Amino acid sequence: MIHFSRYALLVFFSLVASTGWLYAQLTLAGGNPTLSITTGMAGAEPIAVVNTATTIDYEKSASVQKITVLTSCLGQSFTLKVVATGASFGTPAPEVTLTQGMLATDLITGIPSKPPGPNKGSCTLRYTASATFAQGNSSEQGNDVHTVTYTILAQ
Amino acid sequence: MLAPTVQPGLTFPSFTRSLMVLLLLGGTHLFEMVQAQTTGNHTVTITVATITAVQVSSGSVSMSITGAGVAAGQDLMTVSDQSTNLLWGINSANRKITVSTSLGSQTFSLRVVAISPTQGIAAPEVTLSTVANDFLLSVGRSSGSCGIGYTGLALASQGTGSDSHSITFTVQSE
Repeated sequence: MIHFSRYALLVFFSLVASTGWLYAQLTLAGGNPTLSITTGMAGAEPIAVVNTATTIDYEKSASVQKITVLTSCLGQSFTLKVVATGASFGTPAPEVTLTQGMLATDLITGIPSKPPGPNKGSCTLRYTASATFAQGNSSEQGNDVHTVTYTILAQ
Repeated sequence: MLAPTVQPGLTFPSFTRSLMVLLLLGGTHLFEMVQAQTTGNHTVTITVATITAVQVSSGSVSMSITGAGVAAGQDLMTVSDQSTNLLWGINSANRKITVSTSLGSQTFSLRVVAISPTQGIAAPEVTLSTVANDFLLSVGRSSGSCGIGYTGLALASQGTGSDSHSITFTVQSE
């Protein structure tokens, strides 16, 4: 019994360590983007701005996973949306509107378990910032500063 | 000599051996496991510049007083036009739109008023001069449009001629 406990523990952790079955990794690249809205049309609305400078690198694990997104932006004035494009694996969800106090919302679903195939993939984050004339400007309202959090977890 | 108990059934030397084997078998993967992140975040900043856009739907308006329909003995003759619109987009608070003309010396009178604004409040009809007069009030932080109503007035005693105005609409603080 004593030996069984010791070797069971040993085999379990060795398996985990050598295969990486119980962890998944997510890394953001491309820094902290700034989107600046500078022009607008009379009788219409300011022209939205798109940024695709950032990416997510992610890994498969032993189970099917998904990536979720949420934001924290106190005093939010303007509109920010994000959608994953060019995902190596998994299915991008429809564009997500990021709002203060939102629950974690799917960004990519159905990331397959490993193996087979490559374990590491990436996607591009396409941010779209928009504002209406009624929402004002940064001189009066201040900038919107979002802390956007991405999480990979079992689906 | 008694060894300290780590957990039931495992003595300290046995645990040490197990840990060493574990590290050897795990290799770099164990390190990766410790370093692995399931969450990442970054900062996304949105800045919105002060935007003020004003546009007139047509570049020119021509009005003619021909005398048609004028009753004998009547001095004042008028003509009206509502063929043009003003559009605006303003993301600053507390703004109004004023109107003025470049023509300082006028033979005839020209009046203007905002018609059915989608946002804001139309100011009373004004006679155009080189001094800016209120045209539309309370249009801060809005996008909208209105018709521009012009009325040309001539007295029979003013004779004939023409006035050519260059009319300017300006967004100002209220």
